Amino acid sequence: MKKLLLGSLLSSMVLLAACGNGETGAGDDTDNGNEEIPEEAADATVIRFLNGFTGGDGAFMKEIVDNFNDSQDEYFVNESQEPEHYTQFRTGDYELVVMHGVNLETYSMDGLIQPIDGILEDVGMSINDFHPAAEDLVGLTDGNYGIPLDIHPLTTFYNKNLTEEAPETYEDLVTLSEELQSENENLYAMGIPDSGLIEFYTLTLAAQNNVDLLSDDERYLNFAQEDLVDALWILHDMIYEDNISPEGLGLDGEFHAFMQDSEGDSGGNQTAVSLTGPWYYQAVSDAYGDDLGIGTIPQLGEQVAVYGNSHVISLAASVEDEDMLEGISAFIEFMYQPENLSNWAASGQAPLHTETMNYIEENAEDFPLPYQNQQMFDDYVAAPAVYQFGEQMRYMNETVIGRIVREENLTREELMEELETATGIAEEIADTAPEQ
Amino acid sequence: MKISKTVSTLMFLPFLLFFVLFWIIPFVYGIYVSFHNWTVSGGNNGFVGLDNYIRILTPGSMYHDSFMNALGNTLYFVGISLVPLVVFALLLALLIENIPGKLKVVFRTIFFISYAVSVTAVSAIFKWLFTGNGGYINNVLQTFGLDSIRWLNTQPYAWIAILAATVWWTIGYNMILFVNALDEVDESLYEAAALDGANAWQRFWNVTFPSIKGVFVFVVIITVIASFNLYGQTLLITEGGPARSTMSLTMIIQNTIFSQNNLGMGSAMAVLMGIIMVFITGIQYMIGFRKDENG
Repeated sequence: MKKLLLGSLLSSMVLLAACGNGETGAGDDTDNGNEEIPEEAADATVIRFLNGFTGGDGAFMKEIVDNFNDSQDEYFVNESQEPEHYTQFRTGDYELVVMHGVNLETYSMDGLIQPIDGILEDVGMSINDFHPAAEDLVGLTDGNYGIPLDIHPLTTFYNKNLTEEAPETYEDLVTLSEELQSENENLYAMGIPDSGLIEFYTLTLAAQNNVDLLSDDERYLNFAQEDLVDALWILHDMIYEDNISPEGLGLDGEFHAFMQDSEGDSGGNQTAVSLTGPWYYQAVSDAYGDDLGIGTIPQLGEQVAVYGNSHVISLAASVEDEDMLEGISAFIEFMYQPENLSNWAASGQAPLHTETMNYIEENAEDFPLPYQNQQMFDDYVAAPAVYQFGEQMRYMNETVIGRIVREENLTREELMEELETATGIAEEIADTAPEQ
Repeated sequence: MKISKTVSTLMFLPFLLFFVLFWIIPFVYGIYVSFHNWTVSGGNNGFVGLDNYIRILTPGSMYHDSFMNALGNTLYFVGISLVPLVVFALLLALLIENIPGKLKVVFRTIFFISYAVSVTAVSAIFKWLFTGNGGYINNVLQTFGLDSIRWLNTQPYAWIAILAATVWWTIGYNMILFVNALDEVDESLYEAAALDGANAWQRFWNVTFPSIKGVFVFVVIITVIASFNLYGQTLLITEGGPARSTMSLTMIIQNTIFSQNNLGMGSAMAVLMGIIMVFITGIQYMIGFRKDENG
């Protein structure tokens, strides 16, 4: 009897264990929302909306969502703000997800998102309701895979105590650095980091020097180009030739150097200008107040151009239910009213929606950063659409640019060897793409 | 009170249940996954046999390069962290054993308390201390007229910063184990050694160390395992840089699985890492056991 009891318990246990071991896929039937659904929304259709806005911008998106939920009772948007939201999306159940533009190709090839043109059509919108830069961001071969939300380009902040206006050219930076150095040897025009925003610097320099990184077969990033060596060598010159940037700045060094006080106790190098991410706006604004200036990206190469990443709203591939699609349309229609989407601009992000851009222009004083950044949309260059873009860029981020920034004696030949290695890795990553 | 076998087995069952659920099944499942082309989002895309292992172990693929680079970095860290984490912990324990009773409690608490701090907080503190441009350590160096050092983006300084953070963070744990072991050493042995005229070093080498040797071997083994699992410090302080020189095995496995969406390859890397750790731990056991026999 005892053996029977123990045997039954053990069998149940193993069975329980086996049952708990489901496939790891997008079909997991769990509630991944992090917001408690209120009683009054018990009968509403729940739209699970996932994003990675865990920083200061999260509160602004939440306000849009809350306003939508308060505006009607047929649908309830259950928003989840998760730091690892891509992993969450791959393994959980969501209807809407905010993605970075560079990830659309990957997630569409992996079959995780679907074209969203039907939603746009339902709400009477089209890609023409956005700045022309949007088309390159969301348009893949068989449709638009996201509704453009914003572009967050490389942004120019400057310290008005050290320079009256933002430098517009490479020569301006040289002149500014000479002036600052004559005052204080710890002062520089700007800082070049050895890691961090490398993707932004690399693609901006490539765009400013007319370098197309897409391989001939349009599968991977081809870094092994003499023109790219020339473009990236500008960073080396800025540090070791023209003394525009201090040597040896590390991760996010462009931001940290801008926040230094050259006359303070830290003894660090301070820069007058920072080419960094717009997400640092709150920090630099708190530090500098009225002395903070915002400019456009200087021309470092042959032409004016700027790269930045973007946020888009994508529809999960699993969404088919008509009622759910109607709810999503209602939410999108609500969000893309200028008075609502301007909440997103209030976070510092620069929306691509034309009507909202007009609204921002009319109220430029209330939206200084989005207003300044939307001036650069005409010169915006999107990243090539390749599978696993971030992974294809990884070796550039982790190794190549670091060597340019840290090694004074690096040669162009050595740089080309590194670019060939980076290209090889990018091609190998591209080979992991699922067959279409 | 005598407990029947049935009751004792039932009391053991909760442990067994969780052991099976959270150890045995993931372990076996991980090995199974490693023989497949498996993605996080798409699930199983077919059996590939040893292909994942072959690509990791054969030169010429990015998986080989990244795994071998990370293995080298991890072994390097295990090597440089073992002495400070074990020997310094033992020295601290000996120091604490030789101070008056009330102070002993105070210092034991002080040295151990850092272990309770999260790796995120520890990394934030040490990143600030070692920041190259305007960091605290460089500020101190400059005060004494010395040149600044690019602690976090040049070697060997990046490893020094990570080692300092790790030692500060975890040395208290090993120290507590040694303190407890030292408390168990038979006082009469010290008295006998003193009567024989043994000096401090002779007392340590002939009385203390043999008495705590079991704990010493255990501390060495758990320290090697902990160092093998290096992740938080390198992720948060150096992000694996400069030039991937502090990229650890765990970072590479995490990246392969979640960034490259390649669960099969990542699982194969994890299995290989496990085999290497078992091999190294086995050697440590053998050495410890053989010395016991000889002793």
